[in-house]
Amino acid sequence: MYTAGIDIGAITAKAAILRDGELLATAAIPAGYDRARAAGRVLELALAQAGISRDQIVRLIGTGYGRVLVHGADRTVTEVTCHARGAHYLCPEVRTVIDIGGQDSKAISVGADGRVLEFVMNDKCAAGTGRFLEVMAQALEEDLAGFGALALAASRRVTISSTCTVFAESEVITHLAAGADKAALAAGIHEAIATRLATLVGRIPVRDVVVLTGGVALNVGVVRMLEEKLERRIVVPGYAQLAGAIGAALIAYTDVMDR
Amino acid sequence: MSRYPRLQSLQEISEVMKRYYVQRSIMARLRPVAYVTSGAPVEILEAMGILTLYPENYGALCGAQGAAVGLCQVSESAGYPADLCSYARSHLGAAMSPKQAPLHGLPRPDLLVCCTNICGTVLKWYEALAEVYRVPLFVLDVPFQRTTPPEPHIVAYVSEQLHELIAWLQAHTGRRLKQERLRQTLQYAREAVSLWQEILAFGQHRPSPINAPDLFVAMAPIVTLRGTRKAVECYRHLKAELEERVARGIGAVPGERYRLLWDNIAIWYRLYRFFRPFMDAGACFVADTYTNAWTVALEVDEPFTGMALAYTGVFINLDLSTRLQTIMKLARRFQVDGVVMHANRSCKPFSITQYEVREALRAELGLPVLILEADMTDSRLYNDGAIQERIAAFLESL
Repeated sequence: MYTAGIDIGAITAKAAILRDGELLATAAIPAGYDRARAAGRVLELALAQAGISRDQIVRLIGTGYGRVLVHGADRTVTEVTCHARGAHYLCPEVRTVIDIGGQDSKAISVGADGRVLEFVMNDKCAAGTGRFLEVMAQALEEDLAGFGALALAASRRVTISSTCTVFAESEVITHLAAGADKAALAAGIHEAIATRLATLVGRIPVRDVVVLTGGVALNVGVVRMLEEKLERRIVVPGYAQLAGAIGAALIAYTDVMDR
Repeated sequence: MSRYPRLQSLQEISEVMKRYYVQRSIMARLRPVAYVTSGAPVEILEAMGILTLYPENYGALCGAQGAAVGLCQVSESAGYPADLCSYARSHLGAAMSPKQAPLHGLPRPDLLVCCTNICGTVLKWYEALAEVYRVPLFVLDVPFQRTTPPEPHIVAYVSEQLHELIAWLQAHTGRRLKQERLRQTLQYAREAVSLWQEILAFGQHRPSPINAPDLFVAMAPIVTLRGTRKAVECYRHLKAELEERVARGIGAVPGERYRLLWDNIAIWYRLYRFFRPFMDAGACFVADTYTNAWTVALEVDEPFTGMALAYTGVFINLDLSTRLQTIMKLARRFQVDGVVMHANRSCKPFSITQYEVREALRAELGLPVLILEADMTDSRLYNDGAIQERIAAFLESL
């Protein structure tokens, strides 16, 4: 029995297909401006990878900011619930999920069964989100993957004091104009985002195992510096970026089994 | 018909409030007008026949009518910072540009009475008003209440200022305070407060016949008409209607599944719309800290000590532990399943304790708490997408 989850995030559209509750196929593409179309496309890609057709999917759940745009979804669930379920699937010992998405970041306290006990989210500010990193990487003309590595290679850090993305960008430009070292700046930027995230995470009781999900989990610089700030090891499971879609597909599976 | 039938008495209260603004505009030509803060001892002014108007209530009205942002921009252009309270920015904007303000602004004041029990902003706000209108200002200085009951010297200090206020009002208006009128006014105020307490207590029923947004509409008379017969009448009607709902088992939210507690001032520009996703999920806000702020009983026999105590003990003038106890008591008494806190950009005194309170609610009562950042009247500070996302996730986690 096949179930699917589609997670339409602020930057990326993701899909996961499960066979009898086990991960079978995934896909991720840029969400673009036409999110409804991206939802259709990403599912097609996942279906092709799974080698099955759309009508074999028994139940489909949409999640993420664009979840209402997932055509043909049987129901929608918020990404907080989905990331908790997805992270629990990827790492059953998880008790704290930190999800850093393009538009917002969240810290979720998770029960032994993968249910949300409580959560906090960043409010009304892009600092501490994937968007912040994207803007900063652009300012330094780095791609997102290389950006984290560059930060870790730095021998010193330039302090970025602005918490606002827009102000931080102009701060970075000022530093560049003053001839600051690129790696030291990258390190400072990563430290700024990690500090911001650690503050957010501090608002819930942090219990091990801490799992990082969302697209930013792919950035090794953020992971290391966040570990430094939280003084804890952070697990980045395979498919971390897909945790939301996987969680949605799992909830779809549970829905069917509970019927 | 809507799935959520409105209380008839709320319609009556809305009518009363419309008439209140119209009548006071007309009467302003005949009687002295004083602007007062929401925590001012209005009974004294009422008993002296001085017309009172509430810039804060007016700010809420601007918010509810969607006029606040334009008015805030007027005061921001004049140099007031965007971080200032949006009631102050809305009202100052209306004072500077009445043409674009609801009701063309409030009638000009003859006097200003500012009581500092609710925040420090009112002090500067009223000083600004005194400059705009060139009218005298009385500042009633209420110290922060660190113990309950407050220390005797605080009560004496506030009580003494109440006498000064009377002398000041007499000097500026030529009106005398008759003890008998004060007694009558306090009697009405006491009765209205007592009815208001009873109305709030209806939230203890399962299902609750009243939801927080209903109370946000219903509260206008307890703020602006305290000490009048009209307020008492409004609340008698509302109480009777709630009794009937309870007798017939009618809930404000049909199929009540969750009982929630609201903290902080309402989001006026989305009064009912904000609560819609909660209502659709069967969640009723059975108690709140905002409307609960007008439940401090007044003493008729010792009027000055009584008023000093009541006006010092308003919710946002209380220390953290007393506030915490108040909230815990509400959570227990109303048997709530969770708490939603509005981190109100405008109202720092109301919002500053929220993370501490959240910790305590979680640790002692195991209650989930959702904190939402917004503003009571400045809709530019309201991010609907982010808020809907958080509400949906919170409801899923209940």
